[in-house]
Parts: sequence; C-alpha cells; structure tokens
Amino acid sequence: MPAKLDRIKDDALRDSLATAHVSLKSGNFPDVVHRSSDAYVEMLRRDPDLMKGPMGMRRILFYPRLGARLIQESDGSPAVIYDRETFSFSEAITYFEFAVDSLVREGV
Amino acid sequence: MKFGLFYEHQLPKPYDSEQWDPDEEHKLLKNALDQIELADQLGFDYVFEVEHHFLEEYSHSSAPEIFLAAASQRTKNIRLGHGIVVMPPRYNHPARVAERIATLDLVSDGRVEFGTGESASEMEMGGFGVRREEKKGMWEEATRECVKMMSETPYSGVEGAYVGMPSRNVIPKPLQKPHPPLWVASSRRETTMVAARLGMGSLGFAFETPEELEERVDQYYQLVREECYPMGKALNPALAVLSVLSCFENDEEAIDKGLEGAQLFAYSLGYYYNPFTGGNHQPGGMNIYKRFMDTPPEQRWGPLGEGFRGFGGFQGASVTEEPKDEVTRALWRAAQRGGCIGTPEFIKDTLRKYEASHLDLMIFVAQCGARKHEDVMESIHRAGTKVIPEFKERHEKHQRWREQQLEGVEYPVNSSI
Repeated sequence: MPAKLDRIKDDALRDSLATAHVSLKSGNFPDVVHRSSDAYVEMLRRDPDLMKGPMGMRRILFYPRLGARLIQESDGSPAVIYDRETFSFSEAITYFEFAVDSLVREGV
Repeated sequence: MKFGLFYEHQLPKPYDSEQWDPDEEHKLLKNALDQIELADQLGFDYVFEVEHHFLEEYSHSSAPEIFLAAASQRTKNIRLGHGIVVMPPRYNHPARVAERIATLDLVSDGRVEFGTGESASEMEMGGFGVRREEKKGMWEEATRECVKMMSETPYSGVEGAYVGMPSRNVIPKPLQKPHPPLWVASSRRETTMVAARLGMGSLGFAFETPEELEERVDQYYQLVREECYPMGKALNPALAVLSVLSCFENDEEAIDKGLEGAQLFAYSLGYYYNPFTGGNHQPGGMNIYKRFMDTPPEQRWGPLGEGFRGFGGFQGASVTEEPKDEVTRALWRAAQRGGCIGTPEFIKDTLRKYEASHLDLMIFVAQCGARKHEDVMESIHRAGTKVIPEFKERHEKHQRWREQQLEGVEYPVNSSI
C-alpha cells in the first residue's frame, strides 16, 4: 500500500481510498475513480471555505477532467459529474493519486 | 546525475511587428543544431525536443523527428530524446510513430529516448479534434500499441477504444531492443505516479524543488518495485526535472542575459494553457512578446491569473508568493531566477541538492525567449566545462544507489541513466 495513504487521518476516508487501491490493483478502474472522487468531494463538503473565491475556481479547473469532472452546484456545494463509466489504468491512477495527495495536503 | 538540454524552439516576434523576419525560423533551427553539437562535444548526456503545434512564439517545434534526425548526424554520443511525441492517434497514428522512432534509432546508432505525452493546450487539441476528457486514455492505448509494433514480429493488431489496426509487420525495428527507453511527460505529480506504475521514466515539467523531489523519488521507486505493470517490455526507471539555465561568470550577467527569457518562457506557456487566453488566441494575429513586454515585471510569471480576474474578488496576477496549485506554481517558478541562473558555483550548489535527492537527470532550458544564440552557446559552454564535470565523477555512486532501489524488480531494465 502506498505509504502516503497512512497519512490520511480520517478513518473512513482512508479506508475508502485503501479499498480504491485494492480496486486499482485488481483492474476495477471505475470503482477507483468513484471512490477517489467521493473522498475528494467529502473533503470539500466538510470545509466550505475550500470552494470559495479564486481558489475554489481553480479547484474546479484543475480537478482532473478525464471522464469525471468537479462542478459547483447552485447552492455552492461541490459535486462530481461522470461523463462515462469506463476508465483506463492511467485515468484511474490520476484520480486516485490526486485524491490522496489532496487529503494529505489539507490535513484531513 | 546526468544532464540534458531541452528545446521548445522559442521565437518571439519583434516587438513592433505582427510577423517574424523571413529568415528567423531558419536561423533558429540552425542555431539550435550548433548548440546541440557543442553540448555533445562537452559531454551533455541528452537533448530533449518537444512536439507542439500552432503555438506561435512559444514553440516552433512541430516536427521533432526531423530535427532530431539532423542532430543525429552532427553528434556522436548525446542521446536524442522526444520530449515528447504527442500520442493521441489524431495527432500521430501509433504505427507512424513506431516507424519514425525506429528509423531515428537506426540512423543515430541507437541513441533514441522515446518520450510520450498527451498535450493539453486548447490550440492543439482543438486543431486536431482531440477531446480533453479522452486524451489520457488515448495516450495509454496508443503508446501501448506503438511499443508492441516496435517489438513484435508481426504486430498482432488491435481493436481498441481509440486505435484499430489489423496485424501487420511494422518496419523497420529499432536498434535498441526490445525498444528505446520509454518516458512520459509529467507536468503533475499524479502523472509521475502513473509513470512509476507503468515502468516509464518521468519527464518532470513542474520545476520541482529538491525537497519536493526527495519525497517523489521515494514514492516513485517504491511503486516501481511493488506495483509495476509495465507499458513496454523493459522498464526505464528514471526521474528528470527541468530548470532554466543561464551560466555566466557573475550573477548580474547571468540574470541580465537569462531572466527575461525564463519569464517569457513562463508567460507564453501560461498564455497558451490558460483556457481564457489560449482558447481565444487569434492565429497569425497576435504578438505575445509585445504583450509580455507591456506587462509589469511582477506579473510576468504567466497570464494564468488574468482569466480569473473578477472571480471571487480576484484582482489580478501580481503574486509575490508561490501559488499553491501545482500547474500555476510551475509557471511562477519558471519565471523566477531559480537555482540555475547564476555563476557556476551558484548552479553547482543548487545541483548538489538535487543530487542529494537522487535525481537521475537534470534537463536545462538554455534556449528560451529572445535570448541571443551567442549567449546560449556561452552558457552551455560554461556549464559543460565548469558545472557538469563534478557530477559526472560521482555518477557511479548514483548508479549503485539505483541498483539498490531496483533490487528484486523482475522485469528487464533498459534505462540509459
């Protein structure tokens, strides 16, 4: 298991991403993308300040756009839209690593 | 640690004209060949050449395979890297890439480094009809098939999501077996982790610091050992980092002759990659250099902020601290003095930190912006004679460290590091 996963403090989010990691190794790439996106959105929901101002705009722009994309609902809350349900290995890794790195960096 | 040069073929327009002088592109390419010939003589290990399309002023390097073939005939040892070939099939059919890579490998006596990537600017994707959300999947499938075409006799064929081709024997085959070392462009950390899991070298284009690199190196080699599902038939475990070079006898001269080029590199990159500016670029009708020169110096790290003006009260791009997100930060860093604009001693101090972080390859951007050819030559010469030799002497130690990192890896390795 990547050592970085251990640095996620929240038990539920860490467990979910650990399951995503198992899915990555077994080839279940849609599950990786869904779990990683869900974890990232949950982090944003817990701290609404993360979606405010230009940084919030940049989070939307710089979230990987490889078949799943981050949007802001009319009430300001974050959500992920899925444009398709099949994902490649490299796409799945991208969403997984992005989520793990973001959660560690924000101290979640 | 090894060393390379990186070429975008930047060509700013004259400040007061909408077009270049007729001979400028000719001179640009011939000068670059002179620079690479000199670098080869001085012991630089690699040259990497980008592939970009339609990015006026920022990059006039749309046919790197032709340029590298020319370089191969003027050099003896320097390795010839694609940095990168744009792999989505609408840019380059994988069979054509396999043929070109193999031919270049033959005419260069086996000196090719096969860098791959997706491209990201709206100008390029729009020009070739590539959808952003599909480009990584296209890269993965096309690269996998391309490597098979180089190493299978005959190639078995594929009916994939993006590539369809019946069985054919794709010829010629490259001199390096089973294929040249594989790399992928990594502008973001996530792609470095993709590279590790696919057994590819990571061409880091994010201007990572030695401190950031140390953690990245650990994670990369751990993944190569524990979770690698190789893209090709041999691994190329390697991490490269980009830095802007201007090497002169005193700091003032290095900054005077080097900083503006670095800033224009960052500014024009930001211009094309910002969807608000790059997506609305008027082909043939824009002078980016003039726009850059008319911009206050503190905002020259890239126009990425301009498009956000007005959102959430954001008032502009005069940022004195490093931006937090990785893409914007890379532009900001590229436009600063950085660690390789200065005297040989200053640059060596920087490079010793990268060496301590176990960096495999430092790639210098020497030609950028409106830098003069004579200054680029002088800078390459000074770095080649006064900076690089110290590190070459210690490279064996780094190779031993690499062997330890790769202990237990069951796949063949064909890295040139």
